[in-house]
Amino acid sequence: MKALGIAATGMLAQQTNVDVISNNIANANTTGFKSSRAAFQDLIYETQRREGSLTSDAGTLRPTGVDVGLGVQTVGTVRLNTQGGLLATENQLDLAIDGRGFFTVNLPDGGQAFTRDGAFQLSPEGQIVTLQGYELDPGIVLPENTVNIAVGETGTVMAYVENDPVPVDLGRITMATFVNEAGMRALGNNLLQATTASGDPLQANPGDPGVGIIRQGYLENSNVNIIQQITDLISAQRAYEMNSKAISTADQMMSTANQIR
Amino acid sequence: MPILRRKHHWGQALDNSTYVSLSLATALRREMDVAANNMANANTTGFKAERVVFSSYLHNDPAAATGDTNFLVDVGSYVDARQGALSQTGNLLDVALKGDGWFGYQTAQGQRAYGRDGSLAIDPQGNLVTLTGARILDIGGNPIALPPDVGADLTISRSGVISSLTNGVIGQIGVFGLPDLQAYERIGNGMFVAPDVVGIRPPVPDTVTEVIQGALEGSNIQPVVEMTRMMTIQKAYERAVQLMNSEDELRRDMLRRIGSPSG
Repeated sequence: MKALGIAATGMLAQQTNVDVISNNIANANTTGFKSSRAAFQDLIYETQRREGSLTSDAGTLRPTGVDVGLGVQTVGTVRLNTQGGLLATENQLDLAIDGRGFFTVNLPDGGQAFTRDGAFQLSPEGQIVTLQGYELDPGIVLPENTVNIAVGETGTVMAYVENDPVPVDLGRITMATFVNEAGMRALGNNLLQATTASGDPLQANPGDPGVGIIRQGYLENSNVNIIQQITDLISAQRAYEMNSKAISTADQMMSTANQIR
Repeated sequence: MPILRRKHHWGQALDNSTYVSLSLATALRREMDVAANNMANANTTGFKAERVVFSSYLHNDPAAATGDTNFLVDVGSYVDARQGALSQTGNLLDVALKGDGWFGYQTAQGQRAYGRDGSLAIDPQGNLVTLTGARILDIGGNPIALPPDVGADLTISRSGVISSLTNGVIGQIGVFGLPDLQAYERIGNGMFVAPDVVGIRPPVPDTVTEVIQGALEGSNIQPVVEMTRMMTIQKAYERAVQLMNSEDELRRDMLRRIGSPSG
């Protein structure tokens, strides 16, 4: 009886589904978080009577076969890369990306990661860093006695130093874009890493064609749609129950078969 | 079916009714497997339910006093190609079909396949692919490559034309009509391939089916229908087994009455 194993793949798939949905709900208020969706595809089929096999000496063919599928598999979790809502914070070092692209962050191990979370802070040396203390790349160091900083939509960073009406040009925040953003690997801490599936990062300036602009004083909310997540959760639970019902039915059929003397 | 013509020493009629029940029980087990697979795929993008067709197999034995015997055979299974519900995802690379058309894919093995799963991604070469890496094809059967600078203004029209403001028209997702869909073989991953048989009509371009961006087609499984079907299968299975048991009962009774020397 294959039904037992088939229904088990269905229950496993719904478990994964619930895991992904729970993670989305848990991150409903995470800055720059992108919601994910578990994607499923059917497993291979066992052809028990082949389509197109001969059914008579006159050359008539079987028009349909008997294909019994072997269940379902999770083929991936797809990140939904839509824009999250922008939240005004008035904080000078809160930067939101409006459009496509990622901030580049230097990891302590020498590698690079990418993020949409623009809640930046200053290190003791005056460098712009993430909340974990990882440096923004290209590195920008604020001069001492900085009163005010202005980040333009195209990423230019200007600092107004005490008693000096002329701002100091500190450089430019660049953006990294990817051909396949959905192929990036999530590292946690709002960081993503480039993979062979995502392709290498393409460096661009904010405001270039197809690249987002920077909004100073804003943060990007998560793009989790709570109502959608809750309805998905309900349908996942029902699908789980349905598969467990298939298991108990298959079990009862086997116990019936055992009654044959 | 040679097994059906076997003769036992205790008579054709009794023998046949056991095998009739057996043919029913065997077919029902297979139908249960198909129902379980349908239910396991309740949340699979673009999944189409599979249905089993039964037919009677008439066995005519002139030697038997009872005449013709009807056995049950599951002759085939067919694809329920009805439209699944569309759900909005907001993802630019999610496309759903509204109508009878099919997407064309080129699998990693180079095989041509068709399906309704429009959850797409971009591979490192820039080609539009499914989540398992099969390339989606345009109407000419060629993969569709997106330029690397394509942005959030990527639009896919109802006829499948992919364009963006910066790049203009990039390509067109092919939508195919499959006149002989029921003869196609399912290979998993939501894909159907044409069988290697002469006389299968080739896919034709479908201009009626609409391509909808930002949405996915759900599975066309109807949970209530599947659950009731499963209950029917179980009850029918119990009946078949019951029949075999009472048949066995009869046979024992006969052997006891006729076979015992005391009479």
